[in-house]
Amino acid sequence: MKDHQTGKSLIIGIASLLVFLTIWELVCRKGLIEPLFLPAPSKVLSRAVKMIDNGQLIAHTLASTRRVMVGFMVSSLVAIPFGIFLGSFGFFRAVFDPFISLLRPLPSMSWIPLSLLWLGITETQKYAIVFMGSFAPSLLYIIEATKNIDPLLIRAARNLGASRVDVMREVILPGSLPQIIAGLKVMLGIAWTCIISAELVAARQGLGFMIMNGKEYFQTDTVLLGMVMISITVLIIDVIFRRFERRLLPWTQ
Amino acid sequence: MDPVENGTKISIRKVSKIFSGKQGEVTALRELSLDVNEGEFVVIVGASGCGKTTLLNLVAGFDAPTRGRILLDGEPVTGITPECGMIFQHYALFPWKTVQANVEFGLKMKRMPRSERRNRAAKFIDMVGLNGFETTYPHHLSGGMKQRVSIARSLANNPKVMLLDEPFAALDAMTRQVLQEQLVRIYEKHRKTILFITHSIDEALLLSSRIVVMTARPGRIAQEIVNDLPYPRNADVQLSNRFMEIKRTIWESVQAEVMKSMEVETDQR
Ligand SMILES: Nc1ncnc2c1ncn2[C@@H]1O[C@H](COP(=O)(O)OP(=O)(O)O)[C@@H](O)[C@H]1O
Ligand SMILES: [Mg+2]
Repeated sequence: MKDHQTGKSLIIGIASLLVFLTIWELVCRKGLIEPLFLPAPSKVLSRAVKMIDNGQLIAHTLASTRRVMVGFMVSSLVAIPFGIFLGSFGFFRAVFDPFISLLRPLPSMSWIPLSLLWLGITETQKYAIVFMGSFAPSLLYIIEATKNIDPLLIRAARNLGASRVDVMREVILPGSLPQIIAGLKVMLGIAWTCIISAELVAARQGLGFMIMNGKEYFQTDTVLLGMVMISITVLIIDVIFRRFERRLLPWTQ
Repeated sequence: MDPVENGTKISIRKVSKIFSGKQGEVTALRELSLDVNEGEFVVIVGASGCGKTTLLNLVAGFDAPTRGRILLDGEPVTGITPECGMIFQHYALFPWKTVQANVEFGLKMKRMPRSERRNRAAKFIDMVGLNGFETTYPHHLSGGMKQRVSIARSLANNPKVMLLDEPFAALDAMTRQVLQEQLVRIYEKHRKTILFITHSIDEALLLSSRIVVMTARPGRIAQEIVNDLPYPRNADVQLSNRFMEIKRTIWESVQAEVMKSMEVETDQR
């Protein structure tokens, strides 16, 4: 019954998309819109075919994806243990609180000039931008997640002989994991924003660079193709992430 | 060292506990003294709010008395001690661990090797009749099954003392009876020292070797009754004359305390 429902809405969704693309195509073919202003979907498609042929599309997509993944992984791998630690010890939370509070409101864009000065137009600079944009908010998500642990479970663990470190690993981490993962999913979206902005400003590769470069050469179809690729890539990564989530949280099924 | 009578497992000496909150101070326990001997099954009965949970938390070391001392085997309790295995009313199972992993938890904390852990856990899962549920997550178990897991988890850790805080209060009558009988059987077999809290006189009579009635808040001991109903026991014991006799005695003193606690409540209005 439910499958039937979702199947139905999927068909409606696809139909709606096709109607939209058809109208767009027709409007462009009638010459109602300047091609430089908005190229027809078919033009974007033929640009895609050309760029797949010469390998550029895949290269740009992989470059951006790799940067997001590396920066995001490093940020998460530091933020998770550090957040669990800060969530468990009020004293250290108080020590680090002013720094986190000052870092959090800074948009990742504001780090671009400094990172270029320090690191140049390098891969490391791209990773750093993703890291700086996602670390402080991730940390806050994780600290917040640790607050929702049932204190009774901590008591029970201690009563069964767990040390405070054991409690962090055996109770606080798994207990806050569902919320941490929900937070990281949001952060992954933010990581993409970071990398595209960094690439728009200074890069030699990546989807952000491709969009900016397309604009320089008045190839609006390349610009649109770049934008479509960002959407598709983020959607695909989201699906993969959800698979991964199910594996990590078997008890929530 | 304090002189402790031979065989005294837990010695609660003139313990007071005062909570200070927004509405001023609450004296939960006042100068409560109680000795529990090795191998005794002591059940504490008292009206709700009289300080039963507070007392158990002090014995487990979750909290410290405001005055007085608690000795376990003659040594003062100074912090959380795994030697007093606590069983909570709401089970406190780890939702992210399977039945097996929950039961193994205490052993894992002792850094026992995996295979040894597995064997020992299997023994206790079997004891509470949950074979076949090893890989199930708590979320899929009924309340009665969850409490059985929690009992197995505690027993596997081999505590010197078991503390149970109204463990069956949230269960339906049938399940409760099954678990009561199971606990009596475990007690008959292992002779652990048990401190058990309830507000049900029937439950106290079915389980205990001694019953302690607590007064209304601030909690003290109103009456102690040795429960001489013979072991092995099962639910049928509730039909005997002796059961009714003891029940009457306890009921009188409990009733008096319940009335008092209701007066306290109306006074406060
Ligand atoms: N942490 C606390 N802070 C303040 N008051 C408390 C606290 N714990 C218990 N109390 C009070 O102490 C009294 C005894 O509580 P409790 O031991 O839970 O009773 P029981 O388990 O017998 O129902 C109650 O009046 C309760 O409100
Ligand atoms: Mg209570």
